[in-house]
Amino acid sequence: MTVMDSKNVQTHNIILMPSGRRGRVAHGKTLLEAAKDLGVEIESVCGGRQKCSKCLVKIEGGEFSKHGIVSSANHISPPSKEEIAYLEKEGIHDRRMSCASQIIGDVLVTVPEESRAQKQIIRKTATQRAIEIKPAIRQVYVEVEQAQLGFHRGDWGRLQDALDEQWGHKDLSIDIHALRRLQPALRQGDWKVTVTLWNDAEVIDVQSGYQEGIYGLAVDVGSTTVASYLCDLRTGELLATESVMNPQVSYGEDLMSRISYTTERPDGLEKMNTAIIDAVNQLANRAARAAKVARNEIYEIVMVGNTTMVHTLLNISPKEIGEAPFALADRDAIDVKARDLGLKINSAANAHILPAEAGHVGADNVAVLLAEQPHQQDGIILTVDVGTNAEIVLSSPEWMYSASSPTGPAFEGGQISSGMRAAPGAIERVRIDRETKQPRFQVIGDERWSDAWVLGDSAPVAQQPKQLAAGICGSGIIEVVAELYLVGLLTSGGRFNPEVDCASMQWDQEKRKGAFILATADQSSTGKSILVTQNDVRNIQLAKAALYAGAKILMMRSEIQSVDKIILAGAFGSYIDPKHAMVLGLIPDCNLEEVYAVGNAAGDGARIALLNKEKRAEAGQISRNVRYIETAVDADFQEEFVKAMNLPHKSDPYPHLEGILPEEQPEIKKRGRRRRRQIA
Amino acid sequence: MNDEINLKEMPEEEIYELMQEDLYDGLEAEVVEAVEELLGREIEPIEIMTKGLVAGMDVVGVDFRDGILFVPEVLMAAKAMKGGMALLKPLLAESDAPKMGTMVIGTVKGDIHDIGQNLVSMMMEGAGFEVVNLGINNSVETFIDAIKEHNADLLGLSAMLTTTMTYMRIVIDGLKESGLRDDVVVLVGGAPLNHDFAEAIGADAYCKDAAVGVETAKKFMALKSQ
Repeated sequence: MTVMDSKNVQTHNIILMPSGRRGRVAHGKTLLEAAKDLGVEIESVCGGRQKCSKCLVKIEGGEFSKHGIVSSANHISPPSKEEIAYLEKEGIHDRRMSCASQIIGDVLVTVPEESRAQKQIIRKTATQRAIEIKPAIRQVYVEVEQAQLGFHRGDWGRLQDALDEQWGHKDLSIDIHALRRLQPALRQGDWKVTVTLWNDAEVIDVQSGYQEGIYGLAVDVGSTTVASYLCDLRTGELLATESVMNPQVSYGEDLMSRISYTTERPDGLEKMNTAIIDAVNQLANRAARAAKVARNEIYEIVMVGNTTMVHTLLNISPKEIGEAPFALADRDAIDVKARDLGLKINSAANAHILPAEAGHVGADNVAVLLAEQPHQQDGIILTVDVGTNAEIVLSSPEWMYSASSPTGPAFEGGQISSGMRAAPGAIERVRIDRETKQPRFQVIGDERWSDAWVLGDSAPVAQQPKQLAAGICGSGIIEVVAELYLVGLLTSGGRFNPEVDCASMQWDQEKRKGAFILATADQSSTGKSILVTQNDVRNIQLAKAALYAGAKILMMRSEIQSVDKIILAGAFGSYIDPKHAMVLGLIPDCNLEEVYAVGNAAGDGARIALLNKEKRAEAGQISRNVRYIETAVDADFQEEFVKAMNLPHKSDPYPHLEGILPEEQPEIKKRGRRRRRQIA
Repeated sequence: MNDEINLKEMPEEEIYELMQEDLYDGLEAEVVEAVEELLGREIEPIEIMTKGLVAGMDVVGVDFRDGILFVPEVLMAAKAMKGGMALLKPLLAESDAPKMGTMVIGTVKGDIHDIGQNLVSMMMEGAGFEVVNLGINNSVETFIDAIKEHNADLLGLSAMLTTTMTYMRIVIDGLKESGLRDDVVVLVGGAPLNHDFAEAIGADAYCKDAAVGVETAKKFMALKSQ
């Protein structure tokens, strides 16, 4: 769609992925400039002179009905001779230099991670856990009898004999790719070879002479972030951690829109599959390079992810999990040749995918349970993995229940007027003064609280903020709403209280619609103040009520009144403050010292399954033993959902917040003249 | 604050005002008491409904739309409304008072999330409509049967997932095939929907929330009666 702006200049729609920033820009503007205007900094060393090629972006083609635009490479000015020459020389086919690309029509552009000036901060750091090293991969050195005239056993037969005699391995099979390497290896190594075995059952590599080096990759395929861990399978040592944004974001922000993308377009599944396989290959490459390991020394990959991610990873249509009854293609663990998935590690390597629990509780949740082992601990434990879909597990030493609650994207900054992902400039911590109601905050990228910032050009550089506030990320949203309630600016019902006067509130003329000024215009990178609106609060209330109600249904079904311990997982889980989460009513009452944020437990679980094959059997048991409850059809869900919308809750008690919660509820005058009366 | 209220001595207009405030506060017993008082004065049920209950729910709808009231408060108000309507309904059925209209509503096949449409149902009843709530996971056949059985004026289709909303098109195509499309106004709603989608599948309108749903339904019914 083309429209004219006020100065009669033709303008076009531009959407930048994966940030989702969008806007209208004047005809002829370069992509580099347009991105900058929309707050997406693309790296450029030469400053737009078409020399450095740091600013490469991908122009997506096709109709994006969700965004209401048709994008095409033809909506960008054609490349110059210099650009064509450069791209050809580098063997790049699907990228353009954003500094040389003029916008002449609607476009959807993916800014790859390497072209972003501010790299995404993904704090999925692997924690150190004691893991017993019992990998599925092992290497053995054998000396094989030489081939002689008159003996027709074949080289594979001779290798089998040697493996049996020297190592006691019987009934082995050999992968076709290993078989192709067998004869040259035997002769090159003077009939001494190193054999790599998978699960003590299959020969997957034969190398000449004595060799050392078996590596494995654990991958957590999140719908937003894909994280990988390269491990030495002999020592268990973590050699490299690499992560990227999930490139599927371009095809849909949330899981359901990605499923729709695969069902509504003939090439949808193929595109989604290619995107994620490319991302995993890229991670394998980067991790191998960082650890100075050859890619063909990676002999196994263990992957976890939600059910939609696993389906697209396997190139299986996720159509059926998009609607009731949410049938999975396969709930059990899967072992498949990595090459069959298009993964470029050792050509005979195995890919193991952990089992799922139910249509919407996938291998990632099994991995969380494998890592945290709540069922092996005493007491009642609530494990919550927070994302756009929250997976909730309630366990005791005797039983485990799970549920999935559609919290929506609010906790990742979506559906929030100033929401953003956890990236530099995102407000992640908030405190509001009880008396003055003035906020102070911390942004990602600067350790100091905002009240220590010195603003203005004349201020010494060292005292100026390293990052101005750009928006609010999940942990910041939770803290600001909880703080607003604690200082009395929000009622328990979630309404901005019009009776409290303070400078940090902004009201419309009729004093109906309020908003809280979290960051002032001069504290913000956009030059506009960052607000928390009434609608933002409502969206957070819906999201947290969905999560709480899910947990409550599990508590009701297992007939327990309270929990002893809460484990908060998810990339988001590391940075969420337990007290604020409880004040908001995201989680039920619990001793605050027994609430733990564990970070990316799913990634840890994948690593554990990579390093210890016995843990794969345990994952299978977890998958079968968890009883999944479909909360949406539970008779009590609606009532619990509605009661959970209050801060922290309409009726459930929070004894552990005594002295923290405001004692008296501020009374709000209802409309007009009120005459209170009660009928007994 | 605690001035005694004596309904018996209160003029009609003031009772309506009070009824609207009590409705806003979700006070069911108080609303019922006021309806009883007005009925005792032999006021037409249709008038009580319009001037008291419907007018009161209009205010609730506006404040819900603006985020001032939220789901729990709206449900309380709708419950109070229902209490008042329970007295008026049998009387309205006897009289030849004009009907607001009948709506069949349900989530489409594959979708099991019905909280949103339950809210719409309550708000629609609050506005005086008859509502037939089919619950979750309904096929095109179920919708068509219900429309025929209840002689519905409006059809409400709900879906919470991007993946399930596509079934709405199948329902609308089914209505066309069975010759019912021109008899019912189709309103669609749910988290992943928008105007463009509603237009593309041939619905009459997209309603972004329950309050807008009621407003839209009223508009279409007004057009219909012209």
